Amino acid sequence: MKRRSFLGAASAVALSFSLASAAYAQDAEFTIALVPGLTTDAFYITMQKGAQAAADALGVELVFQGAPDFNPVTQVPVLDAVIARAPDAILIAPTDTTQLIEPLRRAHDAGIPVITVDTFIGTGVYQTGAGDADFPLAYIASDNVLGGRIAARALAAAIGGEGKVYVSNVNPGISTTDQREEGFKAEMAEFFPGVEVLETQFNENDANNAASQLQAVFARNPDLKGVFGANLFSALGAANGVQQAGQSGVIRVVAFDAPTSIVDNINTGLVDVAIAQHPAEIGYFGVVAAYAHLTGNSIPVSIGTGFTIIDKNNVTDPDVAKYIYSD
Amino acid sequence: MAQPQADHAPQADHADVRLTVLQRIANLRAWLFLAFLILGFEAWSRLDFGGSFIFNPYNLQSIAVFAVVPLLIATGQTFVIISGGIDLSMGFIMGLAAVVAAHVINWAGPVMGLPMAVLFGLLVSVLVAGLPGIVNGLLISRLRVPPFIGTLGMFGVARGVAFLLAGGTTVPVKNAFFSGLGNGKILNIPYIVIIAAVFVLLMQYLLTQTRFGQHNYAIGANEQAARRAGIDIKWHILRLYILSGMCAGLAGFIYAARFSAGAAQAGEPLLLDSVAAVVIGGASLFGGSGSILGTVAGALVIAVIQYGLVFINVQPFWQFISVGVVIIISVLIDQAQRQFGGGRQSE
Repeated sequence: MKRRSFLGAASAVALSFSLASAAYAQDAEFTIALVPGLTTDAFYITMQKGAQAAADALGVELVFQGAPDFNPVTQVPVLDAVIARAPDAILIAPTDTTQLIEPLRRAHDAGIPVITVDTFIGTGVYQTGAGDADFPLAYIASDNVLGGRIAARALAAAIGGEGKVYVSNVNPGISTTDQREEGFKAEMAEFFPGVEVLETQFNENDANNAASQLQAVFARNPDLKGVFGANLFSALGAANGVQQAGQSGVIRVVAFDAPTSIVDNINTGLVDVAIAQHPAEIGYFGVVAAYAHLTGNSIPVSIGTGFTIIDKNNVTDPDVAKYIYSD
Repeated sequence: MAQPQADHAPQADHADVRLTVLQRIANLRAWLFLAFLILGFEAWSRLDFGGSFIFNPYNLQSIAVFAVVPLLIATGQTFVIISGGIDLSMGFIMGLAAVVAAHVINWAGPVMGLPMAVLFGLLVSVLVAGLPGIVNGLLISRLRVPPFIGTLGMFGVARGVAFLLAGGTTVPVKNAFFSGLGNGKILNIPYIVIIAAVFVLLMQYLLTQTRFGQHNYAIGANEQAARRAGIDIKWHILRLYILSGMCAGLAGFIYAARFSAGAAQAGEPLLLDSVAAVVIGGASLFGGSGSILGTVAGALVIAVIQYGLVFINVQPFWQFISVGVVIIISVLIDQAQRQFGGGRQSE
């Protein structure tokens, strides 16, 4: 209880910057470390809040330590430092499907159970005896392929099932955004033959670039009907490009993820639909799964969390608004 | 700063004829590049798309808007690179300013009305952006920290502070006047393009017509000579990095206006583009040469390539390759020029 009041006083961000030592208290039975993909992102900060809620409920210590950007080069040293402190379990969003296998094996070899959240190593299918990355106990995340399919359905509905659309994406090689694009294209190909998906544009997470790309694609395709922004800056930039082109309401924008700024864009009509993941749920069930394992219970090897589709009609509904990522 | 080439400085005294010819080409090369690129895209566009690339007002407007924020950063970077330094912290100073502008404008809106709140936000964000500039300037001028290292440290500090202030997320701005400024037009010219044009002209004046600008070239060309000539180098370097910080601050303010949101990582991808724009624009990373108008061409070259390749429907990965190739060619020209003519100008 003392610990909880300390947490109440510290903001989520201050906590993420504080040293692990502050969080390794003596009175808890278990210490569970959560290593996010990056610390400076509303998605992972919301995940941390869910994890903390579970930790408080179960009376375990939660340590939140990560790198400021989504990169194995900066994540691995943080992971090594976390392993050195020998927590009872590690929850991690690995920043690369291959490069994080060996660093995580060190934790596994040291007897620390590993559960991956949001992103995965290897194929994301664990405990099968196949491959060298099957040692994590569970993978807890939204199904990003499904998320892409949901985005495709929302965009197809917004444009009446026909016309040209494209995917505004970050960079190739990121498991989650690649899967969203894959799901989006598969759904369009299978169920919406009237929709033509143009070449994907990669913006390197730069909204300015994403905006310019939308304008260029529109200049080339004056009949462009819609765009799917596969992450925050892709969507923010594409929406601005639509505005600059004077096509608000004509070119429809579907955004993946729902931080507070996207909600404003829905209200002003810049973005038509946002697909919210449930990061708090991922954090909550991550801690619960680790606790269940540590207390001798079996856990599922894969837990899929859901999505919420947010548009102008439901954005003010408190049951929907709770899925907006808070800061 | 400029120690490395102090040894070779006397070279600049000979080879006058060749130097001036090469120099003229060097000064023009970014604009030649730009003309060449536009010609290429124009031809491709007419053959493949059946319409004009450049005589399409929509394309011109899109490219201009795209170039605004990188150009504002590159303008400040031009001053720093001419002095023989580099400012790596500008990207995150821009993010910091965008976050500060968003918070201040949200706070001030109900207090002083929307338009005044925007002005107040501009003032505060640009002043706040000057603070890391002061630290950079003091580190580099008083404590002799190399600019590359000093500003790299400030890169981390500005980034951390910006993320702390933003709470790790983007900060939405609720101010119709502000987003109108970022996205509105007059006579089909976006306001932010006009702001950038006026700002660039002011900076061109500062660099070419004032003592500050002349000292900047002198320090970059030969720091020891500049010191012997009685230039107060410490005072100059301090003001220089405050200037570059404030340029990044203005860029962050404009970014926040355009996207109605302040984001700490907004400027991160733009930093290297800004250095590339300056180098393509004819500046030498060893200091002493460069111009604002060259940088404008450099920023436009990058914007035209990135926009044009999407427009003519080229596979996305070629965008990375082509920007890289243009930078390498520019640096090769710079090297050749250095070898043949000393490659420095002092005005």
